[in-house]
This record gives sequence, C-alpha cells and structure tokens, in this order.
Amino acid sequence: MSENEEQNKEQNTEQNTEQNTEQNTEQNTEQNTEQNKPASSAEQAEVSISAEPSIVAETTAAPAVDPEREAKLKAAAEAREARAAAKAKAESEAAPEEPKTPSPKQPLLDETVALIRSLVSEDAVEEAYINEMNAHMPVIVVKGDCWSEVAQLMKTHPTLDCDYLRNVTGVDYETHMEAVYHLVSLQSKQDYAMKVKTDRETPSIASATPIWATANWNEREIFDLLGIDFPGHPDMRRIMMPDDWVGHPLRKDYEPLDPEV
Amino acid sequence: MIRTEELLLNVGPQHPSTHGVFRIIVKLDGEVITEAIPVMGYLHRGTEKLAEDLNFTQIIPYTDRMDYVSAMTNNYVLCHAVETMMGLEIPERAEFMRLIVMELQRVASHLVWWGTYLLDIGAMSPFLYAFRDREIIIDLFNELCGARLTYNYMRVGGVKWDAPEGWLDKVRDFIPYMEKKLDEYNNLVGGNEIFLARIKGIGKYDAQTAIDYGLSGANLRCTGVDWDLRKAEPYSLYNRFEFDVPLGKTGDCYDRYLIRLEELRQSLRILKQALEQMPSSGEVMGKVPRVIRPPAGEVYVRIESPRGEIGCHIVSKGKAEPYRLKFRRPSFVNLQILPKLLVGETMTNLITILGGIDIVVGEVDA
Amino acid sequence: MKGLLKGLGVTFKAMTAKKITTSYPDVPFVMPDRFRGIQHFEPDKCIVCNQCARICPTECITLTGKANPDPEKKGKVIDTYDINFEICILCDLCTEVCPTEAIVMTNNFELASYSRDDLFKDREWLDSNNHNVRKDNNNIGAPAAAKGGAK
Repeated sequence: MSENEEQNKEQNTEQNTEQNTEQNTEQNTEQNTEQNKPASSAEQAEVSISAEPSIVAETTAAPAVDPEREAKLKAAAEAREARAAAKAKAESEAAPEEPKTPSPKQPLLDETVALIRSLVSEDAVEEAYINEMNAHMPVIVVKGDCWSEVAQLMKTHPTLDCDYLRNVTGVDYETHMEAVYHLVSLQSKQDYAMKVKTDRETPSIASATPIWATANWNEREIFDLLGIDFPGHPDMRRIMMPDDWVGHPLRKDYEPLDPEV
Repeated sequence: MIRTEELLLNVGPQHPSTHGVFRIIVKLDGEVITEAIPVMGYLHRGTEKLAEDLNFTQIIPYTDRMDYVSAMTNNYVLCHAVETMMGLEIPERAEFMRLIVMELQRVASHLVWWGTYLLDIGAMSPFLYAFRDREIIIDLFNELCGARLTYNYMRVGGVKWDAPEGWLDKVRDFIPYMEKKLDEYNNLVGGNEIFLARIKGIGKYDAQTAIDYGLSGANLRCTGVDWDLRKAEPYSLYNRFEFDVPLGKTGDCYDRYLIRLEELRQSLRILKQALEQMPSSGEVMGKVPRVIRPPAGEVYVRIESPRGEIGCHIVSKGKAEPYRLKFRRPSFVNLQILPKLLVGETMTNLITILGGIDIVVGEVDA
Repeated sequence: MKGLLKGLGVTFKAMTAKKITTSYPDVPFVMPDRFRGIQHFEPDKCIVCNQCARICPTECITLTGKANPDPEKKGKVIDTYDINFEICILCDLCTEVCPTEAIVMTNNFELASYSRDDLFKDREWLDSNNHNVRKDNNNIGAPAAAKGGAK
C-alpha cells in the first residue's frame, strides 16, 4: 500500500508539474498556488474516506497529512523550476502570445541594444528591459568591463546623443552592488537608465567622470556612502562623512558607532 | 624684494554668505584665487539611510527639511514618485492645490534668493523688502497647513487639507501686489550701476560646459539651453497653462539674475491661470490603500524645483518601506562647477558666483 | 548715476509707507487655527491603540496602558503617555491617525525652557495644556461620525 501511495504521489506530482507548465504560459504563479491550495484542502476532507478516489482527483494526492505536505512542497519546488524553465523559454521566443502588450519603447530599446552590441562588443549588454512603471524607460544592464566604452558610445553616437547625465545612484542589494546611471538626450528628450553591477567584496566600476563631468561628485558620494571604488576618477575621496570615517554608512550591514543615532 | 606666498584661506563653515554650513578652502595668490576646494557634509543628516526604515508617509516630513527654502517641491517629488509606482490617480482639485502651492513656493524661494544674493553683494534693503513679501506667502501657508517652513502638506494620493475659507481670494489678491513689487525691485536694484558692475561678466560658462556638468534650472538656461522640466517633460498639470521660459545668452551671473526674476513673474502668471481653472469643489485625497505599499520595482521621477531638477529614485521590494531612496538634489550637482568657475577670480567675486548658483546647504548634504 | 537715484527714490517712498513691524513679545502673535504647536492630550478619549506611536517619524511618543479598572468595560486605559519634545518635529501625523482625537495640536509654540528635563512632556502636562486647542483637525483616522465636532 505504501508503494502504491508513493507511486500515486509521483504520478500526481508529475501531473501537477505538467499542468503547471501549461498554466504558466498563460497565467500568473499566484493563481497556481491558489488552485493548489483549495484542491488539497478539499482532499484533506476526503482523506478519511479512502485513498482510491484521490487518484481520480486533479492535483496532489496523499492519504495522510505528512506525505501530502511533502508532496505539496515537492510539487511547489518542481513547479518553481518549471516556471523558471517556462519563463526562459518564453523570453527567448520573444513570447508572441504574452498577455502584456509590448511596450511602445521596445523597438527603440532593441535598436539601442543592437547598436551597443555591434559597436562595442557582443556581450556588453547583459540584460535589457523596459521599466513600465516609470513611463516605459528603457533599462540596459551593462557588463562592468565594457562600461567605459558603452558610456562613450551613448554620449557620442549621433542617434543616441545622451549628453546629459542626470543622476548616478548606488544601490546595495545584499548579494551585489549596483550603480544606476540615468541619461537623457536634450535634443530627442529620450531617457535611458544604464545599470552596472559589481560584487560586494571589492566593488569597482569604471568612472564616468572623463565622459560626463556630472559624475564627479555623484561618484564620490557613492564611494563615501557605499564603498564602490571608481578607478579613473580624478579625486576619489570622501565627500559627506569626515575624512577619517571608517566604514560606509549606506551599506545594509553597517553598524553605527552610536546605536542611538 | 617682496616675497609672495600662497595663502590658504578658509571660507569657513560659519559664514554668513555661504547660505548654510559650507566650507571652501581657497588658495590665494594676492587676491586672485588659484584653487578652490569645496568641503561639505556639515549638514549631512542621513535622510537616505533613515528612509529605509520608515514608510512613505513618515518620510514626507524628512523631505521638507532637505531643501528647506522650497519644501513643497520636495514633498511633491516624493509623492509623485510613489504615485507613479502605484499608478494612483489624483483628484483634480488636489492636483490644482499642489500646483498652486508649488508655484507660490517658487515665488517665495526666488524672493529668498534675491534678498540674500543682494545682501551678499552688499545691499541691505532688498533683503528686508524680499522678506516682507515672503512673509505674506508664508502666512498663507501657515493658514493652509499649519507650518511656516516645513509643511508636511502633501500625501501620497493628494494633499492633506483643502484650502480654508477665503484662502484662494487671498492668493488672488497677492498676485497683482507682487507684480507691482517686482517692478519696484527692478527700479531699486536693476539699474543700479554699482550692482551691474559687480555682476555683469562674472562667472561665465558656455552651454557645453553646463550640459557636461549636469547643471539644471536657471544655471543651465542662462547659457541658452532651453530645458525646463515643466515644458520638456511635463508633470502635474503644467501642460494646461501658458507660460514662457526665460533664456539667457551669455551665461554670466547677470543672466541668471534676470532669468530668476523673470521666472518669478511667470510663476505669477501660472498662478493666475490656475486660480481661474481650478474646480470649485472636489476631493482632495484620492483612493489610497491604508498601507502604502508600492509594487516591487524602481522608478526615477524628476520635477523642476526653483533650484533645478530635483529627482527621486526609489527602489522598492514591495514592502511599505523603500529599499533604497535616493534624491538627486539640484544644489549638489550644480555646485560641482564652483571649483572650475573660481579659478582666476578675485575673492570678492567668489561670493557673487556662489550666490548666483543658488544653493541651499540642506540640499547639498541631504 | 541714474540707476542709483531711481533706487534711492524707491527707498524714500518706502520710508513714508505703512510699517508692517509687529511688536511681538508685547503684542501676542495670534496664529491661524491650523497651526501646529505642542500637543494636547485627553486621557479619557485615548483607547491605547498605539497608532500615534507607530506613525511618529522620530519615535518620540511612548505610552503604556493598563487594563480598564472598571471590570465591566473592555479595553485599555492610558497609564503613561510621554512625548519627548526634544525630537518631536511637530509634523502632526499623530493627530492625523488618532481614531478618537485624543491627541490634538494646540497653537502654543512658546516652549523654550532652561533645562532639557522640561522638554520631556508627560501626561499631566499634556492634559493641562488646553489653551488654544486647534479646532480644525482633518483627522483621517477618525470615523466619519466622530468628525461632527471638528470644523
């Protein structure tokens, strides 16, 4: 009987993942988990009756509570993998049947990415997407080594012509750090966000100061508060904190000297 | 023989003309500056770090205190950023109230700038005249939201209070009064030969330098670059009103002076139109969830504050507090050009140039 | 020369214009109704919901409650209520969220004192601070029925 149970479990989890992949190309993940939950709670009611009808039931099945929970967890893990696989598949196909309409700035983004790829290097652009929340701003994630050349291209290329650097922000995600450069072209009023990632132990991003002088103090501020080093910067020292301060205050793991402050 | 040495002078943190606690280390050769190193951080209060523990309604009082001379625009940039993230709709009357308040704030801020700039240069009466007129605006704000300088007036989704009885009429009466006063100011100072000799031709830079250094506001427009965020990337209701954007030609302090006074006049024009078009009744707060939790993502919005482009970059992970909140402060970015402008100038022109850039140190440090 | 004379003309005209100076300490300054001064607290209305302490941006309100001494009524009664006035920024978020309008702002702003201990306002002081209580509160926390009194 226990073997049967286990076989049932395996079969049903397989069915579950298949259904998940089918559902995923169209629906959100939340709906998935929601569908899982009512079905399994309905089944807990059936538990006392017998194990047989649960084979006929749609989703995860197990006669007792513990194996059912394990099955649920396993199904969730497999569903997550399936979701990731489906998402990767959908992205690489450029998902023509996506429910979201493609952004109006998408062609511009593709053009820009193609330009960067052809003029700088094939792997310069790690990721490129449209930030719909922010009035469809194109966001391009650039590889750290190629950042100088990409920045030079963004400024001097006649179609891009991003001569105005608005803002440089440093963000500390706990796994890595990132600098976001917001550029705008004063003629075409087109704005871009360029992101450069770097790791946390020795964070370092090529400085954009030789290209846009605005970056000078902005990068000093990021160095001061977050600790990202900018080789190529003419004057890398602390700007807000006193010169002999130890530590970088804006980091997530910063321990203030005086806890009451 | 006379031996000359280089003198290291500290235009120290405590100085009446540095508009706050701001220090410039100046290397002098006689009276000519050879190098200037600005040192800041005396007013750094860690707003960005504090914001990581507070939810958005609680951050609004902190934004007031960054650029304390123009607090309404700071409130607005934060509320606008959160509303863009959440896709909220603001009721029309609330948007009009915000616009009226922001334009009044622009008038007040330019009055402060005018008064203190002329005080730095040496004239004492314009300071008192400017503050007398600013007092009227501040009293209006006092009636509206209960505070004279740090308003805490805007909320995500609208504004906190509606205008009390008779407030809009008072604003309406203020506009012709201020226009008359502006003519008086021009008579007082605008033709004064001493003033013109001190300001014309000082602190020149060209358009390419301005764009390179990321200047904004009057500092950019004095070189002739037509970039005003109210027209170039309209936000709020600015596309409903007609107003001109004054541009300069030569890029010196005198152009910046004229541009700011003209901007004041245009703000009064916008106010007149806004008061006419405003709906006479309506909600002042939109439908906002009780706990303001923007979805995960990031956003960068920017508006035109009296000093330039103020921007707010929020990275959110879906919680009620921001994961990272960064303000792009115009005074901070505008100040970068100072070391470059000061080389070769005399000490007296240092104060003129610093005042012409119009900084508020609370914003430089955040 | 002409510019200087024009400027002097403006100055002379202002000499004969009406003065706007007020003689402040002798003549008290009346603030408009919505002015945010130090708070006034009414312990009877407080239901110890802790909203004010939670929303305070600087965490200057601390309060404790005790069980209602009347055994029939449910809920808590306020025991201690302190505002650390050294860090209060008078933002009036606490009055905005209070559901019973137990804490309201007054128009009193003359609060300088000679010692820092006086700046730690406790419940008795806040209760007795009932001059110039603000009438227009625009309380978003209060249910619509309770709003009848304000404005």
